[in-house]
Amino acid sequence: MRWRRLFQGIVVAAVAMLFASACLSESGGGGGSSGESGSGDKQVEIMFGFGGDQSKGFKGAMAKFEQSSGIKIKYTDASQSFDTLIRPRVQGNNPPDIALFPQPGLMLDFAKQGKLQDLSGLIDVEKLKSTLVPGVLDAGSLDGKPYGVIISMNVKSLVWYPKKAFAAKGYKIPTTIAELEALTNQIKADGTTPWCVGMESAAATGWVATDWIEDFVLRYGGPQKYDQWVKHEIPFTDPVVKQAASEFEKLALADGNVYGGRKGVVSNNFGTAMNPMFQDPPKCFLHKQGNFITQKGFITESVRQDLDNQVGVFQLPGVDANTKPLLGGGDLAAAFSKDDDTKKTMEYITSPTFKFENIAAATWLSPHKNFDVSVYPNKTTQDIAKLAYGSTVFRFDGSDSMPGAVGAGSFWKGMTAWVSGQKNLDEALKSIDESWPS
Amino acid sequence: MIRVINALLAIVGGVGGALLVFYVLNKLVEMLPQKWEERLKPYAFILPAVAAIGVFLIYPAVRTIILSFANSTSTAWVGMKNYTDLLSSSDFRITLVNTLLWIAVVPAVVVALGLAIATLADRLGSQGEKLTKSSIFLPMAISGVGAATIWRFVYETRPAGETQIGLQNAIWTAFGFDPVAWLQVDTLRLNTFLLMIILIWAQVGFSMVLLSAAVKGVPIDTIEAARIDGANERQIFFRVTVPQIWGTVITVFITVLITVLKAFDIVFVMTNGNFNTDIIAVRFFNELFRNGDNGRASAIVVMLMIAVLPVVIYQVRHFRAEEAAR
Repeated sequence: MRWRRLFQGIVVAAVAMLFASACLSESGGGGGSSGESGSGDKQVEIMFGFGGDQSKGFKGAMAKFEQSSGIKIKYTDASQSFDTLIRPRVQGNNPPDIALFPQPGLMLDFAKQGKLQDLSGLIDVEKLKSTLVPGVLDAGSLDGKPYGVIISMNVKSLVWYPKKAFAAKGYKIPTTIAELEALTNQIKADGTTPWCVGMESAAATGWVATDWIEDFVLRYGGPQKYDQWVKHEIPFTDPVVKQAASEFEKLALADGNVYGGRKGVVSNNFGTAMNPMFQDPPKCFLHKQGNFITQKGFITESVRQDLDNQVGVFQLPGVDANTKPLLGGGDLAAAFSKDDDTKKTMEYITSPTFKFENIAAATWLSPHKNFDVSVYPNKTTQDIAKLAYGSTVFRFDGSDSMPGAVGAGSFWKGMTAWVSGQKNLDEALKSIDESWPS
Repeated sequence: MIRVINALLAIVGGVGGALLVFYVLNKLVEMLPQKWEERLKPYAFILPAVAAIGVFLIYPAVRTIILSFANSTSTAWVGMKNYTDLLSSSDFRITLVNTLLWIAVVPAVVVALGLAIATLADRLGSQGEKLTKSSIFLPMAISGVGAATIWRFVYETRPAGETQIGLQNAIWTAFGFDPVAWLQVDTLRLNTFLLMIILIWAQVGFSMVLLSAAVKGVPIDTIEAARIDGANERQIFFRVTVPQIWGTVITVFITVLITVLKAFDIVFVMTNGNFNTDIIAVRFFNELFRNGDNGRASAIVVMLMIAVLPVVIYQVRHFRAEEAAR
């Protein structure tokens, strides 16, 4: 009996203590803005979220700058988890001078809190704008003010094809969505499944489909509607999203249009989905994927060794031949401090001549239209760069800009459920829309 | 090498530290007058354990219950919203149904299979028994993630016409059928059952070992007496053997049941809850770590806690009754 009473006492005390002290914590305290840290000490701290070859390529580029300017760069590698590492630094009023954000979401949060420097106070934004691919600066802007600019770009709106077999069959590169549909039907009529699609990506299964939807929303809705959709100013159930999904379904999911059938799409790994294209005869002729797919470990190794001869690439066409929207991503440079050293560094990394070292391994693309494409290591990369620089509008991968619960959660899962047939399109879009955090 | 030293230091430090704490507490109590020493001594020894449970179990549990009534960032109260939102979402209802299926099927099958193997292996020669038991026990030594990775290959699908590297599809196509993406087939919850097979495969060994020991512990004279009275083998099994090992059966059942409620790795690795295979632990993980929603994640855990409560109470009662009977 005594024991029971003691135990009850402890529990009651614990509960009382909790209610008295814990309850709910206040959201992060409202300290003043970081202001102008850094004091002309000839040192600039750069925090970045990429690792491996990209990190090496970036450091190689900065080493040259250190020599010419006398500024010492302090690298803070946050590739383990960029968001969770930079957040406390900024909230503790101890931010790095410059950060390279892998996605605009968190960066724009900081801009909203007044933590970031307006780029126009650091560099000549008008000049920058004139050389960037249209829309690149929008990705890092808030209420019309630029805060971040992409310094390392990747491209998603690409369709790959087996060069020789494609030419042998006499297929033509489509310049509009209607032509792409016609090409799909032509390949099908010739007895091959036109598309290879693979969505399986372990716990991240579904992102391939979100890229498709984003690409078509950008095409059918235009950049304004796309921005509204990404910010949830129009719902996920909007007709334009439905139209985008239906186009994806019509092209690449319909019976006989995709190698392995619709069910195979979800169990097929994204990294190797393209490879049946290089069998003889090809099992498919078209595959939509970002420029990373030519890296080692994804594309068939023998094809990778002979990339320029074997693989062709075109941009996913727009509604008409004159609009060439480009979906992509990249690392955005934004500054927390405003001294001369930071200015010089920002000027250097945002200049049209800035480039990573060892581009071949780092799969790096410049976001500047006037960048010398002959610098790129092979013809395929040069072609991709030319497509990117000829684009009419750039938009950042929308799911990366949406809240994590949607962009890396319900959007992936909803698309997976729809493609594999657990939900119809309306149900899937409705459940994604409902999951948007209020 | 440094790791080994670290591990040794941790063991020595941990055990030594615990000894030191008890030693100091004991000394402190012994400094008190005789009467108080006797009164307080038991508490001195039980205090660290109670404190540890308080800090690591009761405090987080209470905190979780509190947070389940708050919003996603735990900054404002939302009342029952997390619960009503979850229970009204069709996805979560599917998750609950799946979890119930796991609870209903896996422990029962594990016990039944374990008992069957234990009884049958008992009749093999000693070499045969050893071999059978070892091979069935082996999967126990594989982690959940490892088991799931192995079974991913069993259920792997390739487009028709290519070599099927998945065992199940290789057999299936050998009979002339088209390959099937097994993990996507949610008709009659087939994919959920396919996932259950993995846990059953991993747990049967455990059940077999315990039940085998119990079967061997049944006094031979009770069986002989039954035989003399003219009972057939089935009657002997169900009326003589099973009642005498019932305690072990319950223990195994409840242990497996708790494993099932905590099951996470298999579903997370195989499907991440896609294709209507979600279960409560995976859903919780996704709400907390992917969606960053403290409120919903807490609400899910509270529901899980409530679901486990009857089992725990039953187990404690059963344990007490056994102790009393001894």
